[in-house]
Amino acid sequence: MRSSLFPLVLVLAIAACDNTITSSEPLPPLQAASLDSNAGSWSMIVLSRPTQFAVAAPAAETSAAYAAELAAIKAAQSKLTAAQRRAIEYWAGGGVLRWNQVVRELVARFSLPPAPRSDGTYPVPDPENPFADPQFPFANPPYAARAYSYVAVAQYEALKTAWYWKYQYNRPSPARLDGAVRALIPLGDLPAYPSEDAVLSGVTVEMLKVLFPAAVAEITQRAAEQRNAALWSGKAAASDIAAGLALGKAVAAVFIARAGADGMKNTVGNAAQWQALADSALARGEIPWISQETPARPPMLPNFGQVQAWLMTPAEVATERPPAPPSTSSAQMQQEVSEVRRTVEHLTREQLAIAYAWNDGAGTYTPPGHWNDIATEYIRGARMSEVRAARAFALLNMAMQDAAVGCWGVKFLYFNPRPGQLDPTIRTVIGLPNFPAYPSGHSTFSAAAAAVLSYLFPQAAPDFEAMKEEASISRLYGGIHYRSDIERGQEHGARIGGYVVRFAQLDGAN
Amino acid sequence: MTRGSTVLPFLLIALAAAPLRAQTIDDGLLVPRRAVGTGFLYAHDSWTRYWEGSLTRDNGNIGTLTTQSVTWVAGYGVTDRLSVMAMVPYVWTRASQGPLQGMGGVQDLTLAAKYQLLTTPLTDRGTLRAMVVGAAGIPASNYTPDFLPLSIGLASRWFSGRFTLNFQAREGWFLNGSAAYTWRTKVTLDRPAYYTAGQLYMSDEVAMPDMFDYTVSAGYQHGRLCIPISLSQRRTLGGGDIRRQDMPFVSNRMDFVKAAGLVMYRGMSLGASRIVSGRNVGQATTLTAGLFRTFHL
Repeated sequence: MRSSLFPLVLVLAIAACDNTITSSEPLPPLQAASLDSNAGSWSMIVLSRPTQFAVAAPAAETSAAYAAELAAIKAAQSKLTAAQRRAIEYWAGGGVLRWNQVVRELVARFSLPPAPRSDGTYPVPDPENPFADPQFPFANPPYAARAYSYVAVAQYEALKTAWYWKYQYNRPSPARLDGAVRALIPLGDLPAYPSEDAVLSGVTVEMLKVLFPAAVAEITQRAAEQRNAALWSGKAAASDIAAGLALGKAVAAVFIARAGADGMKNTVGNAAQWQALADSALARGEIPWISQETPARPPMLPNFGQVQAWLMTPAEVATERPPAPPSTSSAQMQQEVSEVRRTVEHLTREQLAIAYAWNDGAGTYTPPGHWNDIATEYIRGARMSEVRAARAFALLNMAMQDAAVGCWGVKFLYFNPRPGQLDPTIRTVIGLPNFPAYPSGHSTFSAAAAAVLSYLFPQAAPDFEAMKEEASISRLYGGIHYRSDIERGQEHGARIGGYVVRFAQLDGAN
Repeated sequence: MTRGSTVLPFLLIALAAAPLRAQTIDDGLLVPRRAVGTGFLYAHDSWTRYWEGSLTRDNGNIGTLTTQSVTWVAGYGVTDRLSVMAMVPYVWTRASQGPLQGMGGVQDLTLAAKYQLLTTPLTDRGTLRAMVVGAAGIPASNYTPDFLPLSIGLASRWFSGRFTLNFQAREGWFLNGSAAYTWRTKVTLDRPAYYTAGQLYMSDEVAMPDMFDYTVSAGYQHGRLCIPISLSQRRTLGGGDIRRQDMPFVSNRMDFVKAAGLVMYRGMSLGASRIVSGRNVGQATTLTAGLFRTFHL
């Protein structure tokens, strides 16, 4: 016994030593498959045209000022620290991809609901006091969908503008101009002025300061590091960076103004509105949704359906809505409730794994974050230029923001109860979202995202379709959605995704 | 997580039986050579208050969290100086409020070997013993650790090395001190990303921090009666706190100080314990009852 036990113990002890976690999302140095030199002519979404913000001509490459900038790069390169080299390597993976990772981390950090007060009420996160408890924001799925989309669309518009001016001035990168400046990352023939890294840092930092104000210190530090890495690596000179930073910030101002007026600040509503939602359902002869939390929590962002969409007018948002759910007193609803109960009571380990794989609940990067995670692999694999990667994320995240607007509008139009409210014997294996059931947000987000990704990466369309189906059905396995929530949500999401695909077909980038 | 008994505590897993008196992983006793002790231990563990990081609170969406378990335990005396032990629990959980479903299943198989380094008379008052214990655990079913506090365990493989000093006085009083270091393997979740300790991890694998446990116990032993009381502490050497209003996470820093008492008589045991302070664990009260038999081969 002694001789057989101790080897087992030894094996376990050795296995226990390997405790390192490898990120499944490494970003090798970006070598873009194409320069996308015509990106300055691709369709704008919010800006009117790439010349909306003028970028002044740079100093001549023969000027003393530029020579001094080159000398500064050489000086910096002669004494790079290990930390500086790590920064160069980090940002070489691609600014758009890196910032998308950063935003996912911010969403995961901030996607926690406020804790109840001792009197059973809930405080509301306050953008004027973001460091308090509760922290601001509560980056729930609609908030996250909007945040991802603002960052992505602002980056995309800023980069298209930058590309326009790059090819107006055609100033090469320092490493291309001066043999004594080393190229520490793979450098293509993309003109350096204005610097795309500085554009990205400027536009992103300004957007994130508004969306995640409590993270301002870290965001600012990262943005500065991105600009420094561009300089240290021989990719951009100080004037390339200054012009890019100014352009990025100018574009951000347009989006910050839009965000201030897009209806987000009215989304929480008030007690009278919450009661009116329940009264309206009762007047229609339906059982209204009731919070299953203790103490009861106000519904999540009941007015998010009125937030401005990206590529749909308010009339189109209304037109595309699915029909009403089955009546809470109908035989069909009874059957759907029993299906949820049977499913949860006989859940297999595989179904439980699917419920967890797509749960994306409180404290995570949310369902829109999950689809950004999925998209990253394909964008990286396609070796997209920065502007094309920004287009992919902008299309994806516009679709999911418009899906959030559409879905939330329907949820609060019908105010339909969750399965566990109609049958209290139903217990869930994932957290129960605190808003009405119909239709499923996961299904709507996933169908919209799969439509856009299938357009961008047609060879992988069957994979996106399978992921959409799994994400959607995971909510039935979790015990929190009826089948009709899922089916109508998928149809709704696919229609919304169609608006984005039709825009992309004609945007000049194909 | 917020349950004190997630990785079944090393104390209070009594392997008691008539002539061989008590034996647990952290006591100073051995199974006599060629004797087999086996039995079952029932445990009822519940808490309403828990520590969210260092903040103590309750949660209306959980109410009282109850974890029950039935553990099969067995020990065998290989020689007069070496005993081996095995145990495997069936665990089930329940929340008294809120929508979350309880879970149940076979948790982790634990195997241990205890070796007596020395035994020496200390003056004419009693006997001093020193023991080393190697123990290892491995999940015995494919349960998820990603639904805390309702998951039945942490699903990590682990190995611990323990050193125990025991003084047994002639009059029946005894004093015991024990310390253990536990290494844990990473665990795999069913999801592709998670956030803990201030960082988003783009991976389904979670690094589990090591742990340090120590226990002091004292008691009285006479014939078939044994009454130990103990105070034990666990320090988890890393891991993040439960964030404000978040659920517990598998690699959280779960620390606690626990007071326990046990009465064993003629192969029966009754025990009680209470978490008196903690971090990212429930303020749990645990009651145990065991029945054990010994056979001589």
